[in-house]
Amino acid sequence: MRVRVLAHAQGAAAYAILTALLLVVAFPFYWMFVSSLKSEEQMRSLTAMFWPSPAVLDNYRQLLGKTDFGAWYGNSIVVAVGSTLVATAIGTLGAYALARLKFAGRAFMASATLITYLVPPSILFIPLYAQIRTLGLADSLTGLVAAYPSFTVPFVTWLLMGYFESIPVELEEAAMIDGATRFGAFRRVILPLAAPGVLAAALFAFTQAWNEFLYALVFITNVKLRTLPVGLSTFITGDVYGWGFLMAGAVLTTLPVIAAYTYLQKYMVEGLTAGSVKG
Amino acid sequence: MATPAARLPAAAALRRRGASVAFARALGPDYRLGYLFVAPIVVLVLALVAYPFGYAIYLSMTRKYVGVPPVWVGFDNYVKLTWDGFFQRAVYNSFIFTFGSVGVKLLLGMAMALVLTRRIRFRSFWTGVLLIPWVAPTVVSALNFLWIYDYSLGVLNYLLVKVFHVLPRGVGWLSEPGTAMASVIAVNVWRGFPFFGISFLAGMKAIPAEMYEAAAVDGATALQRFRHVTLPALKNIIVIVVLLSTIWTFNDFTIIYILTKGGPGGATQVLPVLTYEIAFGAQRLGEAIAVALYMLPAMAAVIIVLARYMRKGGAR
Repeated sequence: MRVRVLAHAQGAAAYAILTALLLVVAFPFYWMFVSSLKSEEQMRSLTAMFWPSPAVLDNYRQLLGKTDFGAWYGNSIVVAVGSTLVATAIGTLGAYALARLKFAGRAFMASATLITYLVPPSILFIPLYAQIRTLGLADSLTGLVAAYPSFTVPFVTWLLMGYFESIPVELEEAAMIDGATRFGAFRRVILPLAAPGVLAAALFAFTQAWNEFLYALVFITNVKLRTLPVGLSTFITGDVYGWGFLMAGAVLTTLPVIAAYTYLQKYMVEGLTAGSVKG
Repeated sequence: MATPAARLPAAAALRRRGASVAFARALGPDYRLGYLFVAPIVVLVLALVAYPFGYAIYLSMTRKYVGVPPVWVGFDNYVKLTWDGFFQRAVYNSFIFTFGSVGVKLLLGMAMALVLTRRIRFRSFWTGVLLIPWVAPTVVSALNFLWIYDYSLGVLNYLLVKVFHVLPRGVGWLSEPGTAMASVIAVNVWRGFPFFGISFLAGMKAIPAEMYEAAAVDGATALQRFRHVTLPALKNIIVIVVLLSTIWTFNDFTIIYILTKGGPGGATQVLPVLTYEIAFGAQRLGEAIAVALYMLPAMAAVIIVLARYMRKGGAR
């Protein structure tokens, strides 16, 4: 009897904690969305605080019509897609080699890749900027596409090493006994099996590149060439635009990431990210 | 038509095979494909990480302005920084920001994982929503909170003053030295705790149910089961997640840059933001890199310990 009461109390406490966490997590997003639909006047007058009345699309219209937001969106897509393709290609091959092939220096390379992943951008951004300038790539999207693999490649490699390791070696051996070369076995047997993992890694890389702020802030000075996060942050300084306007930009910037996330969720829950962290 | 290889004298062919066997013995059986596949990573790591890193160390020992060649000054930048009040404050703030954030993330993440391992309804829904801050762009989250914290129109003051009547009047969360640090820590925690939670949850799922049953049979209370079954099993994951988050938080630029730019009056100034300001505000690159690298020995120690733990997991 006492045990059951206790269990009920614990269950209730669990739901209470969950609800509290959920409110804290979801509210800023709700608030962003609601603010983006409010009119300038409603925003100032503090009326009907928690919903738009009436809901208007003025902010979105202004954002797309009167600013460079559209161009920034394009820039972000170019940079994120470009650097993701580079990172996924390099990372997939590297991860397979580091996870499966036997060659001298493999363990060292695996460690070096991991350590590279851990070196923070706050140390690298100045010398990288100097390097990008020397190559004549400062103030260009190419410079960002070239720089982003510094963090996406180690990440993709590390993530996929775990994935390749989880595919049974026997499948590959069977293919090789049937006459496939090592490369043939990789291309025809392992790669198709690893496809969902590769896609997940690519989407993670895309998300990281899409969200990147520091390099984009430092490398790009031309207003038209900004990426979304940097462009969005410049709206703060001009008090010309209201908050609703800024929040409309925030909503549109978040959308692609949320789309990627709906696919990624099960991998995250299965601890693949942490599986880079599996202990 | 004979291929060139077939035309080789038998002795030479044998010698070549002997050489490739020797290579294979020295470099491992898959060395050709292995080096081919790893080569792009090696080039990339050398070009984008190792070289800039070495160059950073060199630059930190020079006096270097934008567009002017560097002048060697040895450890001057580091010595000067050591006695610089602004720098000392930024170091202190960086530690407060990091340990404050990581501590709270650890607690909230553990709470999140513990409630999500229970038999609850709609678990995947709860988990899905709780993870969103971790994937949302940091700039977006920082801007959301800038708006929430706003003194005159922000919803936080509105809730506390007009709805719940907890405060007589609004607080300038980011503009008062007393609340600014706690406010930026809160944003970092909000963004980072789901990563702790999801990692702990994955670790808890791997603990065999029999261990809990055995503990329950032995009469262990819930708290004892947590202390003696859950915590020991999670030890590796906890160490990894805490160290990983320590590195990320210590080097977090975006949140503080967007919310306060280090203000008010340096109350939230941390090393990455100070580095940026000295480099691109004052244009003193050598000194800026010295700021970024000052904590390198400590950071390198953390990175090496962390890399060991991460490689220990699995067969790596």
